[in-house]
Amino acid sequence: MNRDEFLTRVAQAARLGNAYRIHVPPRPENVSYVGVQGDLCDAMAREVNAVGGVAKIVSSHAEAREQIAALCKQYSVLSALCWQHPVLNRCELDDLLSRQGVAKHCYDSLVKHDWSQRLQIAREADIGISSVDFAIAETGTLIVCAQPGQERVTSLLPPVHIALVEESQLVPDLLDAIELLRRSDGSLPSNIALITGPSKTGDIELQLTTGVHGPGHWHVVIIRESE
Amino acid sequence: MSNLDYLKSEHHEFLDAAAEAMADDRLQGILGQLNDSFSQRNRDAWNAFPGSDQAREQARAIKDETLAELDKHLETLERSVMEGGGTVHWAADGEEACDAVLKIARSANAQRVVKSKSMTSEEIHLNQALETAGIETVETDLGEYILQVAGHRPSHIVAPAVHLSATDVASVLSTVSETPLANNRKELTAFARRKLRQSFAAADIGITGVNFAIAETGSIVLISNEGNARLTTSLPRIHIAIMGMEKVIPRLQDLPYFLKVLARAATGQKQSVYASIVTGARRAEEIDGPEEFHLIILDNGRSRILQGPLRESLFCIRCGACLNACPIYRNVGGHAYGGVYAGPIGAVITPLYDGLSENHHLPHASSLCGACQAACPVKIAIPDLLIKLREQLHQEPGQLGFFETAAYRFWARALRSPFAYRFGTWLATRTLGRWKRRSGWLQRLPGKLHGWTQKRDFPAPAPNRFRDWWKHEGRNEP
Repeated sequence: MNRDEFLTRVAQAARLGNAYRIHVPPRPENVSYVGVQGDLCDAMAREVNAVGGVAKIVSSHAEAREQIAALCKQYSVLSALCWQHPVLNRCELDDLLSRQGVAKHCYDSLVKHDWSQRLQIAREADIGISSVDFAIAETGTLIVCAQPGQERVTSLLPPVHIALVEESQLVPDLLDAIELLRRSDGSLPSNIALITGPSKTGDIELQLTTGVHGPGHWHVVIIRESE
Repeated sequence: MSNLDYLKSEHHEFLDAAAEAMADDRLQGILGQLNDSFSQRNRDAWNAFPGSDQAREQARAIKDETLAELDKHLETLERSVMEGGGTVHWAADGEEACDAVLKIARSANAQRVVKSKSMTSEEIHLNQALETAGIETVETDLGEYILQVAGHRPSHIVAPAVHLSATDVASVLSTVSETPLANNRKELTAFARRKLRQSFAAADIGITGVNFAIAETGSIVLISNEGNARLTTSLPRIHIAIMGMEKVIPRLQDLPYFLKVLARAATGQKQSVYASIVTGARRAEEIDGPEEFHLIILDNGRSRILQGPLRESLFCIRCGACLNACPIYRNVGGHAYGGVYAGPIGAVITPLYDGLSENHHLPHASSLCGACQAACPVKIAIPDLLIKLREQLHQEPGQLGFFETAAYRFWARALRSPFAYRFGTWLATRTLGRWKRRSGWLQRLPGKLHGWTQKRDFPAPAPNRFRDWWKHEGRNEP
């Protein structure tokens, strides 16, 4: 069936179906908005821990750097997949990783390889380090948008994902975040991932098991901004 | 492990399959857990979500408004997808949808496909079509992967392999591993992760379903807890998404309401672990993500449903909450229903897709208790829809035999005449009522009525009529 026939049939059906429309009572303006009572950093940390992640609130980029160093030791990291992002720069990540002897892979180095080499490097990385575009405190959700320097695989392929989140990147509710996703021309990035927790499955006997496809270890370092 | 045919075949008698399932102690244990964990979590999640009721009404209203102008929203979606460099394919039925996939695969010379869980692709039997064309197809959702290796059909929308124990899973996956696998969830999961990573890396095409499609932006939204949907849309060179046409929502700002209710209904989570909003293929300069994006929009009987009294069933967002809530599902499991969609919503839509006469048991596979409607994130009035289906069923030729027609006619006449009613109730209380005064139940009815007492007892009439009691005693009571 061609497109026009398809749509004509749908148009007819939609018209006839109007006889069976339902009645929905009026809803208030801010329907489904939950938001956060109190401090956004605390709420974010609470929710991250509640969904099986590990949250840490720090008060400076230097402290965040210490956290990353500790995690790299904890997971015996040899190779890291990283975003190229201002928040990571403010933590002086390059310097940290080279001091620790960790091979760092990011856009500038990956772009020189072909796809199969890139994939090989990404599959062998021990850890993915990213920031976020936004994070939602009410649910502990990270929002990561694809663009050069913010690769999809960073938060997806390695067994461990660390996200560095600055306080100013936090919003209270999903409803606050959704319109912020648009680019200035109104379009959306090619891929937006809302991430709430480590990769999970309940497919065997309904018992929770982590790390089935994505990272099984999920760390969120929240950098509280000092005045 | 059970080798019952109904695990594999789609067409069987509901009652036979239900009886087998109810005799299976292990299955009964697992189904009991579905109630304890999933269903309780669903109720807790609604309670913990202030304004959940209004969020559900909002989601429901958006579905209703969208369906009223579905053709326009689909055209907008097509335009947006094309503007983003994607290709839209229209499929009137499953065969056309499979053909569209095969055409894309052939022109790309694709050998290997990975899929993330999609009920729509089950509905159109895509895996068989791909296998027949010689294209290796791997399901990547852990549950679906286990089923694919075992050759079983899914038994639950969100937990497709819920009918298998860890021991079953170990013996299933051992058939594809070099060494036998232990009966240990963590190890089995780690094995699947390694094995499926190879499939992802080797695949030419990733096929996904669509949870929501946003018309104004040309985006599709995919929800998963495992992350396989993200891998499917990030690693293979081509991404094909297949959507039932009712999955479209008009605007980006409509999405949060659905994200807020879907995970709560399905598993009691505030949000699923991963929600991906995918808008076309990778852009220039990006170094990962697919190079081509195709969207297949499927009708397959949905326009027929849209124009009739069962229209509301198209609101369904496939969360599985009604299955967990349903006392029938919790006793018979998913396979008994036949068809692709099980549980209360399956009892509504399987007859609509596959034919009412062929699935005549399904509209009756419900006590109409309403637990499904209470659990539903978009509050579909499933009991009402089942009653409408029962009505339709009785209008189909051959569904009502001579005996039943005559019985109903006799019943209608007796109720219309005060004398006949008085005499009938007198006769019933004097005979059956007094005979069964002690137990109050009839274990066996004669002739055609035997069908009722095969599965349950029939309440005997009271030994005295209300009107007699009223005359002698009732009116004197304070």
